[in-house]
Formats: sequence, C-alpha cells, structure tokens
Amino acid sequence: MRPFAYTKVETLAEAVDALVAAGPQARLLAGGTTLYDLMKLEIETPPAVVDVHRVADLAGFDTSGDRELVFGAGARMADVAEDGRLRRDYPALSESLWRAASQQLRNMATLGGNLLQRTRCPYFRGGEPFACNKRRPGSGCAAREGLDRSHALFGGSEACIAVYPGDWATALVAFDAEVDVLGPGGARSLPLVRLHREPGDTPQHEHTLEPGEIILRVRVPATPAGRGSAYLKIRDRESYAFAVVSAAVALTLDGDGRVDECRIAVGGVATRPWRVPAAEQALRGNEITEASARAAGEAAFADARPGRDNAFKIELGTRTVADAVRLAGSRAVA
Amino acid sequence: MAATASTGVGSAHELDLSCTVNGEPVRVRVDTRESLLDLLRERLGVTGPKKGCDHGQCGACTVHLDGRRVVSCLTPAVQVSGADVTTIEGVAGPDGELHPLQQAFIDHDALQCGYCTPGQIMSGLACLAEGHAGDDDEVREYMSGNLCRCGAYAGIVAAVRAVAEQGR
Amino acid sequence: MSREPVDTRRVDAREKVTGAALYATDLHPDQVAHAVLATATVGRGRITELDVSAAAAVPGVLLVLTHLDRLDLQSPGFIMGGGYGVQSMQPLLDDRIAYRGQAIAMVVAETLTAATEAANLVHAAYEQEPFAVTLDSPGVERLSQPAAIPLPFLADLDVGDAESAYAAAALRVDATYDQPAQHQNPMELIGATVFWRGDTLVVHEGTQNAGAIRNGLARQLGIDAANVEVISPYTGGGFGQKNSLQIHIAPLALAARRLGRPVKLVVSRTQLFHHTSFRPASRHRIRLGADEHGRMLAAIHEVEHQTSRHDLFPLMYTEITSRMYGVRDFRGRQTFARMDTQSPGFMRAPFEQPAAFAFESAVDELAYAAHRDPLEFRLANDTTVDPISGEPFSSRHLAQCLRRGAKRFGWSARQQRPASMRADDGSLVGWGVAVGAYPGSIVPSAAHLVAGADGRIRVEVDGHEMGQGIRSTIAILVAENLGVGVHRIDIVIGDTRVAAQHLTAGSWGTASTLGAVQAALRALREQLGADATGPVDLAAAVRATGRDHVEVRAETLGPGQTEQDIERARRGHPALSGPEFPGYSTFSWIAHFVEVRVEPSTCRIRVPRVVSVADCGRVASPVTAASQVRGGIVWGIGASLREAGEVDPRYGGFLNASLEEYPVPVNADIGTLDVDFIGEPDLRFSPVGVKGLGEVSMVGVAAAVANAVFHATGVRHRRLPIRIEDVLAGASPPA
Repeated sequence: MRPFAYTKVETLAEAVDALVAAGPQARLLAGGTTLYDLMKLEIETPPAVVDVHRVADLAGFDTSGDRELVFGAGARMADVAEDGRLRRDYPALSESLWRAASQQLRNMATLGGNLLQRTRCPYFRGGEPFACNKRRPGSGCAAREGLDRSHALFGGSEACIAVYPGDWATALVAFDAEVDVLGPGGARSLPLVRLHREPGDTPQHEHTLEPGEIILRVRVPATPAGRGSAYLKIRDRESYAFAVVSAAVALTLDGDGRVDECRIAVGGVATRPWRVPAAEQALRGNEITEASARAAGEAAFADARPGRDNAFKIELGTRTVADAVRLAGSRAVA
Repeated sequence: MAATASTGVGSAHELDLSCTVNGEPVRVRVDTRESLLDLLRERLGVTGPKKGCDHGQCGACTVHLDGRRVVSCLTPAVQVSGADVTTIEGVAGPDGELHPLQQAFIDHDALQCGYCTPGQIMSGLACLAEGHAGDDDEVREYMSGNLCRCGAYAGIVAAVRAVAEQGR
Repeated sequence: MSREPVDTRRVDAREKVTGAALYATDLHPDQVAHAVLATATVGRGRITELDVSAAAAVPGVLLVLTHLDRLDLQSPGFIMGGGYGVQSMQPLLDDRIAYRGQAIAMVVAETLTAATEAANLVHAAYEQEPFAVTLDSPGVERLSQPAAIPLPFLADLDVGDAESAYAAAALRVDATYDQPAQHQNPMELIGATVFWRGDTLVVHEGTQNAGAIRNGLARQLGIDAANVEVISPYTGGGFGQKNSLQIHIAPLALAARRLGRPVKLVVSRTQLFHHTSFRPASRHRIRLGADEHGRMLAAIHEVEHQTSRHDLFPLMYTEITSRMYGVRDFRGRQTFARMDTQSPGFMRAPFEQPAAFAFESAVDELAYAAHRDPLEFRLANDTTVDPISGEPFSSRHLAQCLRRGAKRFGWSARQQRPASMRADDGSLVGWGVAVGAYPGSIVPSAAHLVAGADGRIRVEVDGHEMGQGIRSTIAILVAENLGVGVHRIDIVIGDTRVAAQHLTAGSWGTASTLGAVQAALRALREQLGADATGPVDLAAAVRATGRDHVEVRAETLGPGQTEQDIERARRGHPALSGPEFPGYSTFSWIAHFVEVRVEPSTCRIRVPRVVSVADCGRVASPVTAASQVRGGIVWGIGASLREAGEVDPRYGGFLNASLEEYPVPVNADIGTLDVDFIGEPDLRFSPVGVKGLGEVSMVGVAAAVANAVFHATGVRHRRLPIRIEDVLAGASPPA
C-alpha cells in the first residue's frame, strides 16, 4: 500500500475542513470495506485519507417518521438491516442489506460508504496487466472483448461495462431516496438516482459529488408500497456473494387487487443503480398474475444490451423481476 | 479534535494507538496502513486470527471489536484506537475452561484442519449474541461469512445450534 | 489393569478451538523479517528491464532478490519427474517468463507493510511471446502419454477389443465431458518461516511433504539434507497443493542466510492462483456399449489434460474408470496438452473426481438408454474381479454401499422419468446416484515409540496432519491397543527430526502410518514383556525394566515393497505401492445419493441432502472419518456447481484469482449430509485393516449431482461447473 496522510475527525465540520485541506484526491474512510480493500490492491492510491468512522453526527438512523425514513451515512448496514420497522414495513430495504456481504462486513460497512461501493469487475480489481479505463483512463476496457459474464446489460459505454455492485442503492433507487450532502459550499440534497454517473467516456468518475462533499444521510419518503416490497438476489452461491441479478420491487394494490403504486429496480446488471420505469408501467393497473409479472420482467429487460457471456441475465433477470413482483404482491395483500 | 498523522509522501506515517486486546491494555505505534490483523499477528503475537485472503472474502481473521464481529484484515489498525478487541485467545475462561461453543466445536467435530476455526468460533459467538441462531437455516446464513475449505459446515451448524439450545 | 474408555473426539481439537495451534506463519521469531513476492504481468516472454531501485528505497527494505542477483540455486526437479518441487522451473534464476504470475522478485523488509509497498514498486519491462492457456488455444502441444513417459503405470490400457465390442453393442453412449481447471484454496495460505541455526536450515511450512522440502532444499542449495529441518505439526488444509517443495522456500533460505535473521513469507491469495499447483483442465470422451439387456460390454475413455511446458503432470484417469464395473473390453488413452501455465498438480481426488464425473455421467446416460433404474443398472454391472489385472479385489463392498445408501436415502420412492418429481414449493426434484473409487496404496513408514515410567507414551512417526485426523487415528490405535487414555499419548508428526516424513497424500496416510505404529506397539509389548493383547499398565511395566523409559522403532512397507522403497522415502521421493498387488487389487469405494432442487423460475440449484456410504475398510477413527466424508461431499458440490478457474486467453493465467471470484461453497450451500461406512476391515491389504478415505469421499459426488440435475430437468450437463445459465438455457419457457 502507498503511504498516505491520515486524518481522523470527529465532527462534520472537521470532516469537510480536512477533506478540503487534503485536496481533490483525498478519500473518506468509514467502514473501510471498499476503500481500504482497494488501497491494499493499490487500485486506490489516495495521497490523503480522512477517517470519519467516529463522527457521531453521521451515525444514527430513524425509521419511525411518518413522512420519511432517515439513515445516517455512518450507520452500519447490520444495525439497519435488523431494524424492526424496516423489516416489517420496508422488507426490500432490510433484505437488500442483510443479503449483502457477510455479517462481519455489514458490521463494518456504512450506509453512505456502501452507496459508493466500487465495481467488482475483475479487470478493474485485477490491476496490471488488464486494460481498464476506470482504473487507468485511456487504457481500454478488457471486459468488452473479454470474460463479460458479470458485466452490464444497461448503462455501459465503449469505455466501460463494469457493473455497479451494490444492493442497498438498488433498493433505494426504487424508493425515490434522496441524499443529503455537506460540502465547503454548504448543504444540498439530490435524488439518489442522480448520485451515480454512467461511465460514458469517463468511467473513472462514478458519482456527482463535488470535491470536499460528504454524504450526510439518505432519506426515503414513507410509502405504503414499502410493506409490499421485496428484494430478490440471485448469486453464484447461496450467500456471501454479489448479485448475478437482483430485483427490488415495491407496490400497493387497489381495492380490486390491481397494482396501484409500483416501483421496480434491478441490480447486478447495470453500471449504476437502475430503475426500470417501463416495467412499472407494464405492471401498473394490472392484477398480479404469472403473465403480468412476466410482462413486467420482460419490460425491465427490453432494452438490455448483452455481450458474449451475459445474455442469460436477460431471461434470468426477467424471471427474477417476475418473482419479486409476485412476492411483493403477496406481502402487499398481507 | 482532528488528529493528523505526519505528512509528506515517503516518510513514515505512524500513530500511537491504545486499545485493549483480550482485556489487556495495549499501547503501540502503528503504521497508518497496517491492518488490525497484521498488528495482532505480526506485532502483538496474537496469532489466533488467521489470514486466509486479506480482503474480507473468507472470515478467517474474524475478531470482536467492541463486542461486534468484524474482519480484522479490512480494519485499519488506527481505527481500533480506544476500542476493545477480542480474539479467540480471549474466549476461554481464566483457568482455561472452554466456552460452551468451543466445547461444542469439539463435541460436534466442527473443524478439521483448524485454520478457519478461530474465525468460525468468533463468528459463532456473535451469531449467538445477535440472536441469529434460531434454526439451522439461520445459522447457515449468518455463518456464511466464514469459509471452511475442509467442509466442516454441518458440524459448525450443529455446534452453534447446540449452544443456542442450551441457552434457552 | 482396567482399560480407559477411548475418547474418539479429534485429539488436537482443543488446540484448534483455543487458537493455541501454531501454524507455520504464526511463528514470529525474534528479528523476523518479512518477504513479499512481485510477479510477472505477461503470459510468456523475457524480462528486458528490471528496476528495483524504487523498491529498495522504501524505508525498511533489507533485500530485493531477482534473477539479476545470480542466485546460487538449482532446480528442485518436478515431484512427478524424479525431483521434489511443485514444478521443475525455479523462478528468479533467469529472465524467462513461462506464465503470468511467475515470481520475478522477492522483497524482504523489516515490516510486512514496507515489504508489501516495495514489492509493488518493482518495475519490469518484457519482451512478450505468444502463449496458449486453454485446451482450445492454438499453440497447445499434444503428446501421447506412453510416448512421452514410457512407464508401465502410465501406459495405455487395452483389455480385450473395446473398439469392436463398442461397435457391436446394441446400446451406445458417446459423449464428451469437460472439467475446468480448479484451485485447491486451502484456507491456510502457502507460506513459510525460515531461519538458519548455524549451518542448519530450519523451515516451518504447512506441508504434506516435509521430506521433499528437506531433500529438495538440500538439492537446491547444495547442502546436506542432514542440515535441513522441516517442521509442520499443523497444516491448514493441503488438498494436494502442499504436497511438494514450493518455489519460494529456497529463495527465502538464501534471504535468511544473507540477512542472518529469520524471514517469513505469506503468499497472497491472488498470487496463489499462479504460484503453485492447480487441478488441470481435462476433457474426457467416454464411449460405453451395452447389450439390449443393459449388460455393459465395452468402455473407452480418452482423456487429455493440460500440463505446463516445463513439466509433464501425468494422467491417471483410467485407473479407476477401468475398475468401476465388470466391463470385459476396456480401452484407455491419455494425452498431454502442454501450455503456458505453471505446472498443474494434485488436487483432492486429482484424476478420480473428473474421471468419475465423466464416466459416471455416461453410465447414467447408458442406464437411461437401457430404460433401467440407474441404481439397479449399476448393481447389475458390479464385479468382484479387477477387470484389468484379472485378480480379485482385496475388498469391494460397493454393492453394499449402493444398497445401504439407497435405503437411507429412500431411493425406492424415486420416479424414473426425468422432470417428474416436484417439491411442495414447486421446485423440480432430482435424485441422482453415482459411485466412486480410489486406488489403495501403502508407503514406507517409520515409527518410534517412547514409553515413560510416568505412564505416558510418545509416538514419533511419518505423517502430516492436514485436518484429515491422522493424529486422532494414531491416538485411537495406541489407546485401544494399550488401554491408555488418549490424553497420555504425545504424537509428533510432520517433523523431519523424528522421521523421513514421506508425502502424506493419495489417501495412503492412515494405512501406512498406522501400520508402522502397530508394528512398533508389537515391539514395545515384547520389550515390556507384556502379553500380545490386552491393556498394559505402562508406568508399572516401564518401571519393572529398571529404566525411566523404553523405546522401540519399527519400519513398515507396502505389500511387495523392498528396501529400495525405504531408501526412496528416506531421500524424500514418493514410494508408492498398489493398487495392483501380488494376487489382488485394492481400491476404496463409495456410493453417493444426491437430491437437488431446481428452483422453477430462476433455475437455481440447491442440494438439500446427500447420503454417502463408503467402503474404506476398517474405520480407524469414526469421528474424523465421518468429517472427512462430509468434507468430500462439500468438495463435490463445489466442483459440480461452483468452482472453475476462469481464463482470459488474451492475458494468460487465471482471471478470477480471489476467494470472491472463485466461489467455494459457503455454509448456506450445504444441507443435510448423511454418512455411513461399511466398516469391513481389509486385512489382506493392510495389517490394520484400513483403506484410504479422504480422496474417495469426493469421487462421484459431481456425477451424482449432475445425474440429479438431469433427473430434475431432463437436461444432461456435460461441462462443470453446472451454473445457473446452463440450467436456464435448458429450461422450458414459462407457461
């Protein structure tokens, strides 16, 4: 690992000051499960690290509100996954957390850090000799002509098809989450869907935060669709693995059993958290049947652009969305 | 109050750290790059936590940090300042009497080569404390962060479940 | 004299559950320095420029060893080529790069942090050359095994006229099966702590073969083997990867000598995918013929597997496939495919796992072609005679394994038609069966017993503890023989200071080690004037001799072996016997019954239960034996549904070089594992009645899984691992 200047801060003001002082290449360290991991691989080589893991103002979360649920960026994934209200009224959010990683990692990883988790593309993480525009801009994308089973169907570019690996953000994007950030210019909010960037020509830029900005919290508008929600995750083994495909679905049913509110997002298949409005539209106003669930899944993947080894994810994803729709529907009824 | 380590690329980046390890106070100067795992194993001689991957992908290095299970390979040592670290060496009683879960691992042969075992037991203790040992499938899920290449999983589930039942 | 009841629990479990068991790189001797490797990034070529100045400038760096240092090292030779090494090619000796991931520098520093930083600063430039890394790559060189290595045990097998019998058969199967490269990935990383005590080199490394390390280092360093001590009381899993001298130890020894201090190296998990051996990719064409009644008449097994340019890792796949059934006409052909990787090697059931996957899948296909129940089909083609040698098997209770397993599993409720069974949750249910075999071998072994007047007994013997439970088998044998409690028995294994430490592998460890210990116990009884059987009051018997201890030695051999084999073992070479012995052949046998559930929508495969019944002769240690079989089943599930080394031919080497990307089974992947043993001693093979177990336990599991997936879905999968997309591709579209 390369040496770096290390600063530990305990307040938000200190965090912003330290981040600004350390310059644009500085990185925030919270749980360490992504940043420290990539520093060990020398994929990340920040000259300066600002450690925010003891910043008390980031730590809490509150799921009791009538208007919104609030998740401090420093709250730990394991703690939030266990929350009783979340498990009962927003099972998709809880499931997206406890189906991620392992309990040890969830005890470490923070909700804010998890949002900016970096890709697991083997050509990115593998370092030299693999071409990777995200790691070394201009070097090319080894995945495009390589082993692309784990790569994106959506949001890719000539420069990069690396998948955004997170579960939590995939679920959040279905819930219209907002992100509050604090920076040298003060506080601002943005929809979660605008936090991540598609790779385009600059895959090294993964998010829209300005230098010196820090994520404070995530806010999720309260919705009755939370109760009728599900996060399904298909992996190469039954636990402790990233998604091959995942689907977050949240819905409500009207008095006739027809889908009213409807939100659907898919994971493991896109370069950023990927909401699929076409699938929502396909389902809305319909009863949940094998056929309508399938139609929603097909709509979700209608625009998929597969490579050589990942075309199976279209059918797999279609079925996963359909399963998630049916599960969410059964919860909504209950 | 912000604490900043020395600056200047290429120079040593070190901090004084105090914490407890298995109840014993520890004061040590650490490189800011050093993992808790490497600190324990290479500097403090606490070698129960094992290195199996160094990237949070196997669980062999699992320890408790302020009572919660974490992978020590992805825990920068500087982050344990002021914290209580517990490793497998701190699990048995003062006279060497085994914790019931250690005994259950022996009774159910929940190990073979033994290399992943310290991590399994630290994870199993946490699994019990978290209330995630309600049935076999729950134990399987919440023990999945600890790989066992020998394949002692059935014994591990039986051992954790046996202690959970004792605790009822 | 009363007999203490024998505690059959694992004897070293207490050390392992308390963290007291010290593995090789848990040692931290005073002044220990830390080594880290830098590795090549090209698939083949030559180093044209090597700049270590930045690495050497990192504060705390003590030494950077590269080929430019003209290291005074010889090749260790390949373990399967008369040498000791995991491969014959010793990196760091010249500018040649034979494969991506080859070590190009060893950096030694005061701290691990500094060594790691510095290793990443080693800069190399290369002249690249074309390379081949898959069975289908252009540039692969194919060699017939008997032409390349004219040794009897590697010859083609031709019994009868299999081609004609096959051509004439009423029912035929002709199918090709693919086994990917796989990686052992024991949890303990490969590594060593090395230091010099005067002229004596002391090596602590988790190994299955301290004897090869000792003798191999002597060859590499040009010193006397008597001046090398190798100590490995605990090995954190071996699975074949730790069966020989690794390529880092000799350079570590040089570094320790130059620095005059201990040096420790832990090879990173990612580097391990290229640093040491792996299971080679193999391709099997199986042709089976049967008459219209389902009597198997002919079997033809043609197989090729990958090996490196610098070594020929032999193929021994047909050894078991020719013995599974009473097939009169058998033909086996084995071919090397040389390419640009490190040398492949042994990984649990190295040949038998892929061979049984291919062969037992084909047998299932044949059973279905004959419209016969796959269990009944296997029973009908059983044999008591080795079809290759014509001699009887020393023991073969395979039919009993099948019958007992079927009963435990509830096989009689199976419906023959594929895709005909469903679970309550709508999952497709598949039940599959397959059998496995593994050759019997016994190797030379030496035991030294020291009985003390304090009533304790010390056992120093050939053998390595990798988790299989050899310590427990020794303790139980001694406890049962003398009537002493296992807590009074001290066992020293994996230590060249007490025995030659022949390779522990190939499931010969228990029969070999216990044979020597039993012979020594007989000698001890004579020395003590005790009866030939029955409990012995050790303390009283030793005191009665007027000495404070009594010691005896015994050396045993495999059936038919000679002094030459003992000498081979002493020199650190494998000295195998079997499976053909004068007058009989010996194999271990097993039957596996697997239930899979295929989730109807997403086609995920789960394995809720497995029943396995083994014939391993007498069960020397019931607790650890059952764990061995459960572990073998887990390995079979990994092999069939999870594990493959992924290769991007543009880059060489393996792409998924981590425990995240190379998915081994996790706890949640494993359901109920029901294990039983026939338990009939094989006294013709071994005086202690035991046959091997660790390897056979995994043989056939993958075929049973694949056969179960076929039964669940009606689709036959002939390439491992069977992944979600494979099942999805065969799934019917949703209604």
